[in-house]
Amino acid sequence: MNQSAPLDANPLELIACHECDTLHRIPELAPGRSAHCSCCGALLLHNPKGGLDRPIALNIAALLLLVLANAFPFMTLQISGREQTTTIIGASQALYEAGMAPLAVVVIITTLIGPALVVISSLYVLLGVRFRLPLPMLRSMLSWISHLQPWGMLDVFMLGVLVSFVKLAGMADMVMGPALYAFAALIVISAAAMSALEPHLLWQRLGLPGGQPHAR
Amino acid sequence: MRARDLGLASCHTCSLLVRMPASGHVHCPRCGSPVHLRKPNSIGTTWALLIAAMIMYLPANLLPVMATTYLGNTQADTIMSGVIYLLHHDWPLAVIVFVASVLVPLLKILALLYLLISVQRRSPLRKAQRTRLYRVTELVGRWSMVDVFVVALMAALVQVGALATIEPGGGALAFATVVILTMLAAMSFDARLIWDEYGEHYGTAQQAR
Ligand SMILES: [Zn+2]
Ligand SMILES: [Zn+2]
Repeated sequence: MNQSAPLDANPLELIACHECDTLHRIPELAPGRSAHCSCCGALLLHNPKGGLDRPIALNIAALLLLVLANAFPFMTLQISGREQTTTIIGASQALYEAGMAPLAVVVIITTLIGPALVVISSLYVLLGVRFRLPLPMLRSMLSWISHLQPWGMLDVFMLGVLVSFVKLAGMADMVMGPALYAFAALIVISAAAMSALEPHLLWQRLGLPGGQPHAR
Repeated sequence: MRARDLGLASCHTCSLLVRMPASGHVHCPRCGSPVHLRKPNSIGTTWALLIAAMIMYLPANLLPVMATTYLGNTQADTIMSGVIYLLHHDWPLAVIVFVASVLVPLLKILALLYLLISVQRRSPLRKAQRTRLYRVTELVGRWSMVDVFVVALMAALVQVGALATIEPGGGALAFATVVILTMLAAMSFDARLIWDEYGEHYGTAQQAR
C-alpha cells in the first residue's frame, strides 16, 4: 500500500469542504455548534452535545426498538372475518414469494439490514473509542457507517405504512400492531442517534494507526 | 484557498487532508480508503447511471406496480393511477406521494442533467446555487422509494384467498431501479467540479502554471 505522509502543519485543524474544496481552519467547536463552509454553505463539522455517552445511549435504545419493531405484528388487515398480519420482514417476504427476489432484497436492506448495520457498527465504534478498547476492524466499521446511512430508509417506510393504511382502509379494517409504535419511536431515536454522532470527531480521537494520538 | 491548489486531497471517508504524490494513487493513512483529488471518472460514471435511470423511468411509470384482485375483478395500478386513487380518499397524502414518487425522480434527473452539462461546459455561473441544488438532490432522492414500500406492504397484507389478493408488478422493480440509479448517480457526481477552473476536469493532472 502506497501511503503518503499527512501535512506537516497540524492537519487536524484543517478541513477541505467536500462540496467546493475550500480549505478551512476550524477551531475547537463548543458542544452543539457546527461549522459551515464560508464559500458554499455546506456543513463542515458538527460537535454534538453529550459527547460519546449520548450517542451510545441512543444507539442502545435504537437497537432495542429495532428488535421490538421486528418481533411483533406490524399491521393487521381484517376483511369479512378473515385476518392477515404482517411484520417488517413480511413485506420483503411477500415480494420474494411473488417472484421478485431483487425487490425483496432492496426492501429488506433499506428497512432492516441497513439500519441494523448502522446501529450496530455505531455502537461498536463508540464503545471502542469511549473505553479505549483495542477492537478489531474499528476503522473499517467507522468507514462503513457513512456509506451505509443513505440506504437506511426507516422514515420513508413509515410514509409507505401511512399510504397503505389509507389505501386499504377503503377495502378492509386496519388494525395497528404493537410493532408500529416501536417503529415510530425507532425513527425518532435513530435520527437522534445519527445526529449525535459526528464521524469526523471519532476519526480525530482514533488518530493515525500505530498510536499517534491527536492533540485533543 | 482551495485544497487542490496546495496539492492536498481530502479523504472522502474520514476527511483527512492528504498530500497527493505525483502518481496520484494514495491510500489514506488514517482510514485506509483510496484518496483522490476528485472522485475518479465522476462525469462519465454519473452520465452512465443517469442515462440508465432515464431509460428505466419509462417502464417505471408505464408498467403496473401492482395488480389488485378484489371479489374476482383484477385491476392493474401504475404509479400515477395510485396517486389518483389516493386523491379521492386523502388529498394531502396524495400530494405528498405525487411529489415523492413522480416529481422528485423527474426533477432529480433534470437537476443532475443540468449539473453535468454546466460542469462540462465549464460554466462560471451560479456556483453556490448549483452546489446547493446538488445538496438538495442528494438529500431528497430516497423519498421516492415510498411507492415500493407501499406495494410490498399491500402485497404482504392483502393475501386473503379468493376474496382479495395483491400481486406486485414489474413497474415496482423498474421504479426501485430508477431510485437506486439516481441515488448512485448523485453519489458519483463530484460537486467540487462545479468550482474547478477550466483544464482541471475529470481529475486529470493539474495544468502547468
Ligand atoms: Zn464549500
Ligand atoms: Zn481517510
